[in-house]
Amino acid sequence: MGVFLILRKEAMIGDGVAHTAFGGIALGLLLGISPILTALGVSIFAVAGIHYMRAKGIATSDSAIAVILATGFSGGLIIVSLAGGFTVELFSYLFGSILTIDATDLLVVSVLGLVTLVFLGVFYKELLSMTFDEGGSRLMGIPVGPLSLAFSILVASTIVLSIKAVGIVLVVALLVLPGLSALQLRLSFRGTTAAAIVFGILSMVLGVLLSAIYDVATSGVIVFLAAAIFALTAIYKRLG
Amino acid sequence: MNDAGKAVVEARGLFVSRSNQLVIEDANFTITEGDYVGIVGPNGGGKTTLLLAILGVLPTDRGEIRLFGEPLQRFRNWELVAYVSQDATSFDSDFPLSVRELVAFGRVNRSNIGRRLRQEDWKAVDDVLETVGMSGLSAHRIGQLSGGQKQRVFVAKALVRNPKILFLDEPVTGVDAVSQEKFYRILSDINLSKGITICTVSHDLTAVFCRMSKVMCVSREVNIADVSDLKEPGEFLKKAYGEHFRFAFHRHECEGVFGNG
Repeated sequence: MGVFLILRKEAMIGDGVAHTAFGGIALGLLLGISPILTALGVSIFAVAGIHYMRAKGIATSDSAIAVILATGFSGGLIIVSLAGGFTVELFSYLFGSILTIDATDLLVVSVLGLVTLVFLGVFYKELLSMTFDEGGSRLMGIPVGPLSLAFSILVASTIVLSIKAVGIVLVVALLVLPGLSALQLRLSFRGTTAAAIVFGILSMVLGVLLSAIYDVATSGVIVFLAAAIFALTAIYKRLG
Repeated sequence: MNDAGKAVVEARGLFVSRSNQLVIEDANFTITEGDYVGIVGPNGGGKTTLLLAILGVLPTDRGEIRLFGEPLQRFRNWELVAYVSQDATSFDSDFPLSVRELVAFGRVNRSNIGRRLRQEDWKAVDDVLETVGMSGLSAHRIGQLSGGQKQRVFVAKALVRNPKILFLDEPVTGVDAVSQEKFYRILSDINLSKGITICTVSHDLTAVFCRMSKVMCVSREVNIADVSDLKEPGEFLKKAYGEHFRFAFHRHECEGVFGNG
């Protein structure tokens, strides 16, 4: 998923969604309902907004993302100050805390993971084709609009559900770094995707283990490892 | 070429504008099955605009376009039509894609959305790579190819759909003369052996007059002629390029320049 996101030059959409999700989480905490659910709702609304602005020519991709990001985050800030606090809980969403994940979260994440995998598996060639050449793909009869909206919604959901693990601030890194590392290897598309998945899992598993052993922040270790892998692959590319 | 052949593209009284400027004025022409048409004309003369109008990408102001006898508005058989755009070969050279993977995009269409490509699709990919002489490089990353190789790969991507007509928008810009000639020769072979109608924008006038069956001159006006009927190609082209334009062309030059003419 990260590979597609980078190639579509939409890596920042992740950041936009994550910040918007902050607004959603604040809203959820305020109303006393599941913050993940409100964050999901707000984020999906946000990507739909980005798509709408782009399709109507109101704003280009990056400025549309900036607008949405600012709106969501400032909305969150207003809600937080209105409610006068709940900083502790909010803090856990900002920086992530893998230990707060409960059985329900795990179930939701698994289901979503499966949906994402199936979606990418089924529409693999269409997504790839339109990533490479959107206009040409439209000419060939690929439903570019609906597919890219569906893709963005899945990205939004993935981000929101990863927030509990690594937090709003670092979630984009987790999505983008493995893909970016894999791209350094100059493989075919199939190879790149496989490498990205391996890198992602590697930094997750190692990160959890190392943080448990040395008792440091899990999210920090995971993203730091992902960045280290990126540095190594980048060096490999220069040498290769 | 045989004028009794089936009309593949017809335009009648066609007007097309772009950004509120009239670009194509009252175009009337017919392209018949098996034609190999060179589209020439000065920069900004409307060649790309005309192609995009035929492909239904740009709206027309007035007049009618028919594809395979069907009015453009009602035409649905887009799998018969293939197109290589002007900027096809200017992609991100870091894009992680092999030649084979790229050409396989050509097999993606309305009818197989959400399904994997089949064995026969991959066979078609390999066959067409053979046709354009790129089989040896099928596992290479597209970013590693030379300009001439990129063109051939993009033509392969267009051809792998088994189209009846192939539109190419200036596919040889920035390529050396030898590769360019090789490219036009491959197109000739495809035109002759597979009977695919080809319309290509070209700035290489010699290649147009040596290799192709028709020449279409576009500079707001559109004129089309059989190459074999043109006694004075220079006079024909003056309409588009201006009075001071000189193009001395002699048929025997083709053999000198192109060997097997």
